[in-house]
Amino acid sequence: MVDLHVNGRNAALDVKPHRTLADVLRTELGLIGVRVSCSEGECGSCTVLVDGSPCTSCLMLVNQGEGKSIVTIEGIGTPENLDPVQEAFIEEQGFQCAFCTPGFILTAKAFLAENPNPTHEEVSMAMSGNICRCGAYPYIVRSVMRAAEKLRESA
Amino acid sequence: MKADLGATAMYWAGGTDMVLQWMRSEHSPEHCIDITCLDGMRGIEVEAGSIRIGAMATLDDLDRSAGRHRLLGTLSGITRLMCTPQTRTIATVGGNLCNASPAADLSPAFVAMDAEAVLAGSGGRRTLRMEEFFVGVNRTALVGGELLEEIRIPLEGGLNIAASYRRIDRTVVDIALVNASSCLATDSGGVIRRCGIALGAVAPVILRVPDAEDLLLGTATQTLAGDRHLLQRIEEMSAAAAKPISDVRASADYRRDMVRFMVRRSLQDCARQLEG
Repeated sequence: MVDLHVNGRNAALDVKPHRTLADVLRTELGLIGVRVSCSEGECGSCTVLVDGSPCTSCLMLVNQGEGKSIVTIEGIGTPENLDPVQEAFIEEQGFQCAFCTPGFILTAKAFLAENPNPTHEEVSMAMSGNICRCGAYPYIVRSVMRAAEKLRESA
Repeated sequence: MKADLGATAMYWAGGTDMVLQWMRSEHSPEHCIDITCLDGMRGIEVEAGSIRIGAMATLDDLDRSAGRHRLLGTLSGITRLMCTPQTRTIATVGGNLCNASPAADLSPAFVAMDAEAVLAGSGGRRTLRMEEFFVGVNRTALVGGELLEEIRIPLEGGLNIAASYRRIDRTVVDIALVNASSCLATDSGGVIRRCGIALGAVAPVILRVPDAEDLLLGTATQTLAGDRHLLQRIEEMSAAAAKPISDVRASADYRRDMVRFMVRRSLQDCARQLEG
């Protein structure tokens, strides 16, 4: 048994402890916003927040998530009430196919919590662990800058 | 526990290398001993006589320690060359060292800094010089159930110390084709009293260049900056110490040539930091 705390809920799962966290979140909990692309920790699509830190969940075993607070894209905002970072990505069209977007948004969320007033350069560096195959990078950086503005206004 | 289970058991720190090696079937451990709960081994402490880095400190922890000591600033810069921000929150310093890749980024820096590895086993603790910790490609001096507990970088009062790391790579996510690190400590007169030069990715283990280190001891950093002949001798000694191979990533000749530049630039970096 593995006890996980995901998106504010507890889940006791009967899974082998050596499965990856990404795999368990997707297949056991149906959280398919956790995107698995490279499976090697290079692309950042599977990024989730573990105790607030962005982590590539494809490189973690499920037992490494025990006792920690895990947040996936499903855990921030609702369709009626989006997170400011999600709103900013829509307004600035920070995606094309959107496969990589959940990872980008969670990375951005953790980054902005620490650096609410970043430069373009700092945003680019912070997003360097996420790959967008469509190449929407300029829009993504603008989205994160917009999200920073929104978060500052609401603070 | 590990000693009882033998070769079928492996320690699991951040696991970011292990997951990949497992998926590629390079390992198939029957038992993984999860040590992620050992928070006591995660601290980074700057003390009068040493900097102590717990083996379970993540690369991100090391990055965040940058402002606490100049050497931690150098190490922090190195972590930013490694993997991605969201993998650095998982990957540990100790795990990186225990993976013992000859091309690892932190290893040559620790060797150049005269760091020691503190190993804990059921019979007690022992300390090894960092260069003795690596014994081959992906092989360390750990035996039985031993665990790398912490890395200690010695500091001497009254000495000004700086380190630098240089590497050749193709892209940011690449591992080093060749790398080198230097560490210099000078007295109040600017004379070098401690010197470490370490080379990576040019042998199965991290190499030091003792003859070049000896040559630099007692020299002023200003001489180092101005004396082209001295630098050239150090470059030659470093290239001679390197034992590179040719592989898909680079030829031996290229690696040997680049060692000269990496060593020169890292020494110049140190001199700049010490004089600045």
